[in-house]
Amino acid sequence: MNQAEQIETSEQRTVSVELISEIQQFLYREARLLDGEHLHEWLELLTEDIHYWVPGVQARYRNDDARFSAKRMAFFDDDLEYLKIRVARAKQPSAWAEDPPTRHFHMVSNIEVETTDNPREWTVHSLILSNRHRTEDDEMEMKARRVDLIRRDENGALKLARRKVTLLQTVLQAKNINTFL
Amino acid sequence: MKIASKINDMVDAEEGYIDRRIFWDDSIYSLELERVFARCWIFVAHDSQLPQIGDFLTTTIGEDAVIVSRGEDGKIHTFLNSCSHRGNRVCFAEVGKTRRFTCNFHGWSYGLDGSLKSVSRPQSYNGKSNFDKGQLGLHQARVESYKGMHFACFDPDAPSLEEYLGDFRWYLDVILDNDEGGIEFIDGNIKSRLKCNWKFPAENFVGDSYHAPWTHSSALIAMFGKQPTMRPDRSYHANANGHGWEFGLDFIGNAATLNSPQILEYLREQEAKFAERLGKVRSRMVASLSSANVFPNLSFLAGHNTFRTWNPKGPKETELHTWVFLNANAPEELKEEYRRGVMLTFSPAGVFEMDDGENFENCTSVNAGVVTRRQKLHAAMGLDSRIEHEELKGNVHQSQINEANQRAFYQRWADLMSAETWADVPVR
Repeated sequence: MNQAEQIETSEQRTVSVELISEIQQFLYREARLLDGEHLHEWLELLTEDIHYWVPGVQARYRNDDARFSAKRMAFFDDDLEYLKIRVARAKQPSAWAEDPPTRHFHMVSNIEVETTDNPREWTVHSLILSNRHRTEDDEMEMKARRVDLIRRDENGALKLARRKVTLLQTVLQAKNINTFL
Repeated sequence: MKIASKINDMVDAEEGYIDRRIFWDDSIYSLELERVFARCWIFVAHDSQLPQIGDFLTTTIGEDAVIVSRGEDGKIHTFLNSCSHRGNRVCFAEVGKTRRFTCNFHGWSYGLDGSLKSVSRPQSYNGKSNFDKGQLGLHQARVESYKGMHFACFDPDAPSLEEYLGDFRWYLDVILDNDEGGIEFIDGNIKSRLKCNWKFPAENFVGDSYHAPWTHSSALIAMFGKQPTMRPDRSYHANANGHGWEFGLDFIGNAATLNSPQILEYLREQEAKFAERLGKVRSRMVASLSSANVFPNLSFLAGHNTFRTWNPKGPKETELHTWVFLNANAPEELKEEYRRGVMLTFSPAGVFEMDDGENFENCTSVNAGVVTRRQKLHAAMGLDSRIEHEELKGNVHQSQINEANQRAFYQRWADLMSAETWADVPVR
């Protein structure tokens, strides 16, 4: 099942307050790791089969059914190998543009948990506001809607298995994305 | 035109000095829109992006918003995205398919060639109203193409695209014509804004291989554990009319960073065919360590297979559009390899491009200082590196670690900026 089908077939069933709270805490912790650039620890939150997707967003007319395509260019369309390459680059001492470090702020909200056909997996909707500051006055802001698939692994820990991040900007208002969303 | 008369003093291509005001001053920027962007051939679309009648995309030429569409005649048309009545945009989508571009304001409706087809309440124009549909189409640009790449130009006096590209066509064939099927673009593009003058990234692609081992050290070490080998004796700067390509003859140096054994395998399988089509020397450029720019703002990387345009949004801001292409005859599965490989390396989140924006932005913003702005920039590497090469065309310089192409880029810029008309612009 691809990511889109998985998301569409999820039904609304009751989810316990404890589980919602656990998933919220998982997402907040993830955001804090990204804020602190603890990227190796962030990688630990991902499943081996992670698909991390930030598609390019296009302004198309309402009657145009091709608003998204998996084959179109994307900011990220990554498996674990690609994500590890990005982290390895960010952590090099010669990543000049990361020093002094970027001051990050990842705010997560509107968290909504839905069950899936798999009792160990949940579809989780959220909004994210990423704010980055560099030098004295360089500020970059990204806002996005996320749809995650969160899975409980064999050890009982929550892991991120799929993420689709839909940016609100069709033209990224930033020179780069030196973080994850 | 006080500024125009001073332009030649701002670019000293012989000694290799550049005046920083060209990256900052509003008056210079305004003249640039007139004399560079409204005068040159600007890339607008590849043929494969608009395969069918009615396919369109929107983009800019300088700061002029344009629609690029495939007309009923099957040809590519480019015209202003601004209604002849009150000037509102007539198309708000960045890409799509349509029969008409209709203004939201009063319902004026234009065809795929920009001609005015109808207006709402046409009877209101009965009587004296100077209303002549034939005169009220959207303002057209000339469109000419080279091997599938469509360029548009707003200057009726500009030379043909062929003359404008000059000897650089011979180099463009390395990517556009190394296979009988030519190239195709992968669907979609990535757009981003940098707070930099558009010339910093354009000159970076036209010749700056010098920055690669230093700026991109983090990505090179993360992916390969070492720096690439650039050989001065087997690498070059070549330019013609301000277009330039810095390159080695290492065949696959750029492609090797895409993290795809399938791409390297394809290139190696095709190498003999490339050589048959292009000759031995150019075949070694197909995916080699290199970068290039078609004046003014169309950059590309052979091997990575990415085109990009640097669209000015004021002297201190640039909108980057990035595409991926591949040989149309390449195996279908390579599309994914190129698409993902460019995303990993040369897109705003790519491990190489990540560090470039920071440099371009800070090279621009420091010029807020008036004393800073008075200090000229040094661009004098390789002043004595010009050679005659028996095969390579245009102006050829030994070693890709060089600034010859950057000087040629700025010389062409100065030629255009100080010329009253195209007749005053020398062939370089």
